Amino acid sequence: MITKNLARIVLNECLSTGCEFAEIFLEQTESEGITVDNQLVETVTSNTIYGAGIRLIKNLQSVYGYTNDISKKGLMALASSLKKSFDGNQEKECAPIHKVRIKNRHAPKVPYSSVSKEEKVALLKKVAQAMLIDERIVRTIVSMNNETQTVQIFNSNGKEVTDQRIRGRMHMQTVAKDENGIETSHEGPGAQKGMEFFLDENDLVSEAKEVAQVALTMLGAKECPSGKMPVVIGNGFGGVIFHEACGHSLEASSVSKDLSVFSHKQGTQIASNIVSAVDDGTIPGGWGSGNVDDEGNKCKRNLLIKNGILNSYMVDPFNGKRMGASETGSSRRESYRYEPTSRMTNTFILPGKSTVEEMIKATPYGLYAKSLGGGSVNPATGEFNFAVNEAYMIEDGKITYPVKGATLIGSGKDVLMNIDMVGSDLKRAQGMCGAASGSIPVDVGQPTIRVKEITVGGRGGTR
Amino acid sequence: MNYKVYFEEAKKVGLEALELYSAKESSLSFSLFRGEIESFQVSDTYSLIARGIYQGKFGYCSTEKKDKCTPKYVVEQIKENASINESKEEAEIFKGSERYHKRKVYNGDYKLIPTEHKIALAKEMENALRKADPRIREVEIEYSEGEEEVCLCNSYGLNLKNHVNSMVYYVCAHATDEDGDTKTGYKVSFTNQFDDFNSEKIVNEVVDKTLSQLGGKPCKSGKYKTVLDKKVAASLLSFFLSSTSAEAIAKKSSMLIDKVGEKIASSKLTIEEKPLAHNMFFRSFDDEGVATMNKKIVDRGVLKTYLYDLKNARKFNVEPTGNSYKHGNGKASVSFVNIHVKPGKKSLEQIFSEIGNGIYITSVEGLHAGMNAQSGNFSLQAKGYMIENGKMGSPVTLITIAGNLFDMIKNIKEVANDAELLSSGFTSCSLYIKSMPISGI
Repeated sequence: MITKNLARIVLNECLSTGCEFAEIFLEQTESEGITVDNQLVETVTSNTIYGAGIRLIKNLQSVYGYTNDISKKGLMALASSLKKSFDGNQEKECAPIHKVRIKNRHAPKVPYSSVSKEEKVALLKKVAQAMLIDERIVRTIVSMNNETQTVQIFNSNGKEVTDQRIRGRMHMQTVAKDENGIETSHEGPGAQKGMEFFLDENDLVSEAKEVAQVALTMLGAKECPSGKMPVVIGNGFGGVIFHEACGHSLEASSVSKDLSVFSHKQGTQIASNIVSAVDDGTIPGGWGSGNVDDEGNKCKRNLLIKNGILNSYMVDPFNGKRMGASETGSSRRESYRYEPTSRMTNTFILPGKSTVEEMIKATPYGLYAKSLGGGSVNPATGEFNFAVNEAYMIEDGKITYPVKGATLIGSGKDVLMNIDMVGSDLKRAQGMCGAASGSIPVDVGQPTIRVKEITVGGRGGTR
Repeated sequence: MNYKVYFEEAKKVGLEALELYSAKESSLSFSLFRGEIESFQVSDTYSLIARGIYQGKFGYCSTEKKDKCTPKYVVEQIKENASINESKEEAEIFKGSERYHKRKVYNGDYKLIPTEHKIALAKEMENALRKADPRIREVEIEYSEGEEEVCLCNSYGLNLKNHVNSMVYYVCAHATDEDGDTKTGYKVSFTNQFDDFNSEKIVNEVVDKTLSQLGGKPCKSGKYKTVLDKKVAASLLSFFLSSTSAEAIAKKSSMLIDKVGEKIASSKLTIEEKPLAHNMFFRSFDDEGVATMNKKIVDRGVLKTYLYDLKNARKFNVEPTGNSYKHGNGKASVSFVNIHVKPGKKSLEQIFSEIGNGIYITSVEGLHAGMNAQSGNFSLQAKGYMIENGKMGSPVTLITIAGNLFDMIKNIKEVANDAELLSSGFTSCSLYIKSMPISGI
């Protein structure tokens, strides 16, 4: 997007008032979206995101600016506006720039551009059709988005990195309605892969039928009872519990400022000893994976918790400086409009030995939260909440009837200690995670787990 | 910016009509951590969201690029995207309303106040918070200001502009008591007139909000007389309003089908949309160019109207209500601005004293997951205070409130007189709900 020469001129302008580090992040993202609503193509969009962000760092102060004007004039104007935040003399020159060669581990086999929009529409319609399994299905929305993000990163240490991230995701959503009410259900499979992910690697028709079935099941569900009880949490998106209740509190952005419940807890037990968890940005084709993070550092597999002991945080270079820790390939941002910070990639609990049957059998009275919705957490207190999309009561060690409207609430540190069974059925699921540096693709995941006790909120009264 | 070339290119490829929505934005923000500027940001951006009609169908394209090739690229993408669109609705780009209310809400004075001054005010609030109580352990303060200039023009010659700006302080305190219990409290304060910021008031409010939560515990599960703080009320009512979207009605995903003219809420509840109210959220036209109008959506419990964009107005054979707004760089959808909940006569204190014993909910979490926007069923993590002997009592945390939104609004016993314009553009009041199921211990 810009030449080495121009990058050096801009970086030297940034350094001229005494900052110790400067970086330019350039981005062009082309995306395409097709939505089929009630079996008809309703919306087709093309979007281009284009711009640059410049960051200056001195000690523990960071200055950031962004613009769409990536001409020499535009970048120099931004650099000279940002450098006013410092009033020293130039202490260093930008080092000679060398391009770091990186291997693309996530290149698509079937590029999105090789498949026509008409063929994509045909696939979406097949999926939408598959959801019509019952006349109570009153609405279906199926959409597919793909994007190609090209980034170029230069910094004053002389680094140049370019990378291309190609992702695609499908959303299958259905609304079921009868005389008693309305229920919705949703799945959103995605990957850092090409069309092969949708054409060959997934049975989208079966998944679509399953989505419709869940909405129908929930139509007939009773209101979930409330109170404290053991909860068996399903695999895949169930991992959002770990993402919210623990993952965010392990990000250096809050840990380094002592604003996390897990600040200064490295090497101590924070989870029951059957829990190990990773943040792995290296999984080939993973939705949250990368070749490099958004500062151009290699993505890594970080073991966060080993047998209940806190092993590693997720650290970006800037917050790492504050807490005296090295970066872990975790610095991410939605786009050039965001200053990067430590974020998750693909974060999940590692498999254990139990089976789902064993967990149900070991529960005299409790909830089987088979599929979870989203949630949120306050990193300062660790208090979290999340919604349950598909749930069943467990009575006398057996699944008895479906329940709706359940919410799980608690505090991260308690729930991690209360995990008493971990299954062997590890599965990952895709999500978008919103935080300080914007909305980014992440995988959550876990095998089915059992938590001894969680507060369940619902409208079905107490037992 | 010269848009003529876009309209010329559109003609060349055979587009029947073209609409351009451009936004120029600039911003400045900083955050303070332990008395020092931790981050400082400036931005200057431009974006164009375009849609056009080809063979009677819409195609969409957005871009942040602004070079010679852009106009041609945009109209070609629109043509390609429109040609596979199968929507049965007739595509329409608006020729214009007869009259638009004009009002200047932009206030450029903020640029005359030096940034140092804005930083000094932040530092002053940080110091005051730290001095206020030894239990206050950390303070986070963020300031941001920005302006946006929107231009909506189309090939029928419509050319509308909207210019707004705002300044916001976010002030948050973290307090820890002797038992190690940590709580956070914050206040978002905003205006477009710098002198409006009352730092003393902000600090006092944050101190009270934070310290009063310390030692909070879950309460006993059961049904409680409940007061929802105005912020909570606004969050819940915005989901109710999304069900008044004519799009949701047309797509059968609303519980309010065939309910216009019917009593759907307590007669204490009146909700108006006032896009023309004189505040920062003023809008004279929506994102399709339709002139906005003030209107009652709920009048003493009776649903008065659905909200319509052009497409749905045509479908239902009514006039559009000026309720089409864009979110991000996507397509516009039925939405609303400047909502006002009509205040009642009683103060919050009078309502507490009337209740005697109950619960006051000051915050809910997880709305995006715990609220089913269609059915209105919700189950949300909440915190607040017990109402004991007619007064605000001990703090409560880690509870859930559950219920159904459409039942809840029927059970509003009082609307308080504490109307406040919130940063969401909602002028809201606290609501007394007859009874709500609370799940605690």
